[in-house]
Amino acid sequence: MSGMIHRQEGPARPRGGAAGRSQGAQQGKETASSFRFANMSVAVIVDRGDDGERLIRELQRARVRVQHIWPVPPQLPVDFDVIFCELTDDLPSRLPWVPGEPEAALVLVSTGKAPLDFALVRNCAAQSILHYPLQPAGVQSSLFLAREHFLYERRLRGRIDRLDENLRTMRSVERAKAIVMRMKNLNEEDAYHFLRRQAMERRVSIGSVANALIDSQEILG
Amino acid sequence: METTKTTEPWRVGVLFSQSGFMAVIEETQLRGTLTAIEEINAAGGINGREVEPVIYDPGSESRAFGRLAKRLMVEDGVNTIFGCYTSSSRKAVLPVVERLNGLLWYPTLYEGFEYSPNVIYTGAAPNQNSVELCRVLMEMYGKRFFFVGSDYIYPRESNRIMRELVKNSGGEVVGERYVRLGADRREFNEILREMKNAQPDVIFSTVVGDATVHLYQAYNDFGFNPKVTPIASLTTTEAEIKAMGYDVGEGHITAAPYFQGIGNDRNSSFVDLYKRRYGEDEPTNMCLEASYFQVHVFAKALGETNSIDTEILRASVIGSEYEAPQGEISINPVCGHADLWTRIGRANQNGQFDLVFESKDRVKADPYLIGYSRNLAFG
Repeated sequence: MSGMIHRQEGPARPRGGAAGRSQGAQQGKETASSFRFANMSVAVIVDRGDDGERLIRELQRARVRVQHIWPVPPQLPVDFDVIFCELTDDLPSRLPWVPGEPEAALVLVSTGKAPLDFALVRNCAAQSILHYPLQPAGVQSSLFLAREHFLYERRLRGRIDRLDENLRTMRSVERAKAIVMRMKNLNEEDAYHFLRRQAMERRVSIGSVANALIDSQEILG
Repeated sequence: METTKTTEPWRVGVLFSQSGFMAVIEETQLRGTLTAIEEINAAGGINGREVEPVIYDPGSESRAFGRLAKRLMVEDGVNTIFGCYTSSSRKAVLPVVERLNGLLWYPTLYEGFEYSPNVIYTGAAPNQNSVELCRVLMEMYGKRFFFVGSDYIYPRESNRIMRELVKNSGGEVVGERYVRLGADRREFNEILREMKNAQPDVIFSTVVGDATVHLYQAYNDFGFNPKVTPIASLTTTEAEIKAMGYDVGEGHITAAPYFQGIGNDRNSSFVDLYKRRYGEDEPTNMCLEASYFQVHVFAKALGETNSIDTEILRASVIGSEYEAPQGEISINPVCGHADLWTRIGRANQNGQFDLVFESKDRVKADPYLIGYSRNLAFG
C-alpha cells in the first residue's frame, strides 16, 4: 500500500515539476529540439572513454544538467529525472526500486562488448536504450523517449490509483447516504444533496464528508 | 525454443512466510504447494520436465514480498510465482508481476475489489463465504453481532460487508474492535470484558495469524459458551484450531470452501498424501488446499501450452476446470478468480469441522459484488 500512495500525488518530485513548468514557459523562444530538456537533471553513469565523453557532450548540448558518476554505484541514485547507465549483468539488483515503481527514467547504455541480452533489458524495466559506437542523434531521441515513457507510465499508474480511490469513495458515499436517509428521514436524492451541501460548505470533497460521517456513526454505534 | 526437446526443469517461485507472525498459516500454504509439486514430479513432471520451486522466506514482512518477487523474476528467471497470504503482501508483489509480466497465483481468501491480468486468485471472495455465513449465524444463534479483527485491510473490509449483511437481515452490530497484527494475549482481555457487557449472540472474528490463538484462549478463560455465543470466522482453519488446542476450538464456526473433513474420494487421497508427507497429526485446511490445487491448475494448463510464457499460459488457465479436493472448481474467465464451493463448518472435539451448510454447486466468483444488492457492493 505505502508504495502506491506516493506515485499518485501529482508531481511527486519537485524536479519533475520544474522540468515540466519550464517546458511551457520557454516554448516559443527555444528551438523544438532543445526546449523539452531544459532544467532536466540527468545522471550519466558510464566510463569516460571516447563514447562516454561524446554522450556527456551531447547531453550538455541538449541543455540538461548533467552529472557524471563512475563507477556504477551499488545503488543507483534516485534524485534525477533521467539516468543513463552502462548495462551490466547485475544492473537490476543495483536499481533502488522494484520494477513497476521506478523513481527515474532509465536509459541503458550498451557498450557492445557482448551480444545484447534481452532478458536483462526486460529485467531493468528501462524506458530506452543507447548503443556504442554512439550516434549523436540517438542521444537526444533516447532522452526524449525515455522521459516521455516514464511520465506516461506514471500518469497511467496515477489513473489506476485514482480509479481505485474513486471506487472507495463511491462506496463511502453510498454508505453515508444510507445513514443520512435513515437518520434524517430523507429520500435518496435529498440525502445526496445533503452530503454535497455539507461538502461545499466545508470546502472538502464529498468523499471526506462521507468518511467522517461513517466514522462518527461507527463511534456512536 | 519452448517446443524443442529438453529435460530442463520448469522453475517457479514460491513466497510464503516461514517465520514471523504469519508463519502458522503460510507454512501450511508452502506445504500445500510443495505437496502438489512433488506429486507432479513423481508422475513424470510436465511434458517430461520436472517442476523446480525456488523458495524464499519473506518473514511476514510485506515489503520483503516485493523485493523477493523482483529477485525471483530478475535473478532466478522465474515467471510464475505461488504466494502471499495478506493483502498487503499481495499489493507489494503486484507492481513487479505487472511490469515484468509475471503470473502470481494467490491462494488466500481476501476482501475482493481487485483485478489484475497478472494474478490468478484461488481463495474465496466475499460472495463465496460471508453471504451464507451471515444467514446461517442468524438462523442458528441470533441477531446481535460483535466484530473483532486484526487491524489491516482485510478485516476492516470484511466487517464492512458483514455489517451490511447483518443490517439487511434485521440484525445489529453491538461492538466492533480491532487489535494490531501480532497482538498478544493481554490485549484481548479488555475486548473480552467488553463482549461480556455487550451480550452478543455471535462474535464475528477476522483476527488472523498468531493472535487467533490468543483470542480463542481468552474467550475460553472468560467462560463463554460456544454453543450459545460462538466465534464465527472466515480465517480460522484447522491449522489455527490445532495451535489453540482442540478443546478451546470446539463449537466455533468457520466459513470456507474446504474443510479436511468433507467426504469425497478426491479429498481422501489428498489428505492421505499430505499426511504421509508431513505426519499423521498434521491437518489440512482451506489455504493449504487452495495452494495445492492451484499448482495442479497451473500444471494442467502448462501441459497443454508447453510454454510458461505468461500470455500463453494465462489464456489456457482462464476458463479451465479442475477436480480439486473441495470439488470441481473453475477459473472464472471474467475476473480471473476461482469459482469455489461455499461451506460452513463447526469445529468438533477432534479439531475437525462438521458441516452445517454446503452449497449445491460451486459459486461463481464476484469480487466486485456486482450481482448483489448495491448496499453490499457500495454501502
